[in-house]
Amino acid sequence: MKKYMLNTLLAVVFTIALLVLVIARAICPVLVFPGFGIPNLVLISLIALVVDHYIVKDAPRCYICIPVFAFLSFALLPYAAGFAALSDALWLGVKGCITFTVTTWLFTSMADRISTGPSAKLAPVVSAVGLYLASQCLMGMF
Amino acid sequence: MKKSILIPILAIILCAGLLFGVTMLTFPMYLENYHGWHLKDLKMMLPGAEEFTVEPYSGEDANIVSVHKADIGYVIETKTYGYAGDITVLVGVSTEGKVTGVVVRDLSETLGLGANALSDTDFLAQFLNKTGSFAIGAPGADAFSGATGEAATGEETYVDGITGATVTSKAIARCVSSAVGYVTGADVSSGATSWGG
Repeated sequence: MKKYMLNTLLAVVFTIALLVLVIARAICPVLVFPGFGIPNLVLISLIALVVDHYIVKDAPRCYICIPVFAFLSFALLPYAAGFAALSDALWLGVKGCITFTVTTWLFTSMADRISTGPSAKLAPVVSAVGLYLASQCLMGMF
Repeated sequence: MKKSILIPILAIILCAGLLFGVTMLTFPMYLENYHGWHLKDLKMMLPGAEEFTVEPYSGEDANIVSVHKADIGYVIETKTYGYAGDITVLVGVSTEGKVTGVVVRDLSETLGLGANALSDTDFLAQFLNKTGSFAIGAPGADAFSGATGEAATGEETYVDGITGATVTSKAIARCVSSAVGYVTGADVSSGATSWGG
């Protein structure tokens, strides 16, 4: 069960974010919403990873299931919330699946190495902030 | 197959169901608010106008999405490709062909650069009370025509672009040029030419 907790958390975190957007859209339809760009997908992924890190210590990763479930989450949830048409949702699923898998691999590698010592409690959050800033810098280069 | 693999699948299905349910529940509220805000937007783009009717557009200008006609002018919704995605711009144009309002309704440009077009009133205000085709830059310099995206010919109205966001500025100039062209007759497929320009 621990193995699949990360993908379950990803679905929950992404759903909460989309719920906020659905309600905001209903109240104020003229708001310009943040797009599903790489930095925002990385942010969603990192929140799920940090929560997973605190709930499940040293969870085993299944690098076959992670991209498959990530594709389902990133494609199906925005489609259900009416934020993406079918073709856009499929493309978003591909983007999200790659982003989530790479982010998971990077975050897990970092967390494995810095999860000892007195500063370990904050290490996942600090790693996540570093990765988020790195993703923004990366996108700024293109 | 382990049963635990079903947990994320079930979670995704449940979350999708929840989102679909909330979307359906809030949809009437969204529609009601959308019409209210939309009318407010249209009135802001064309001060003095009270009622708008949607005029079908079947012309050749791919930038024009929809046309809202009032007794004193038009509010035209335009969309074109910017740096990172589509940019939607609402443009108010009086019957004389002068721009009465410009607002960027949607974009996905780079934060801190192109996204500044949403709130850069100095840039957007340059279009007001002007007519014709717009170009980014200064006369004689390496100006870009808003209508064609190529080098300016010298006949355009020049506006300064947003710093660090030339592509976004050109896209907005293209939108405004299309809207003005619809009213003044530069867009030959326009339905407004018989009385607008």
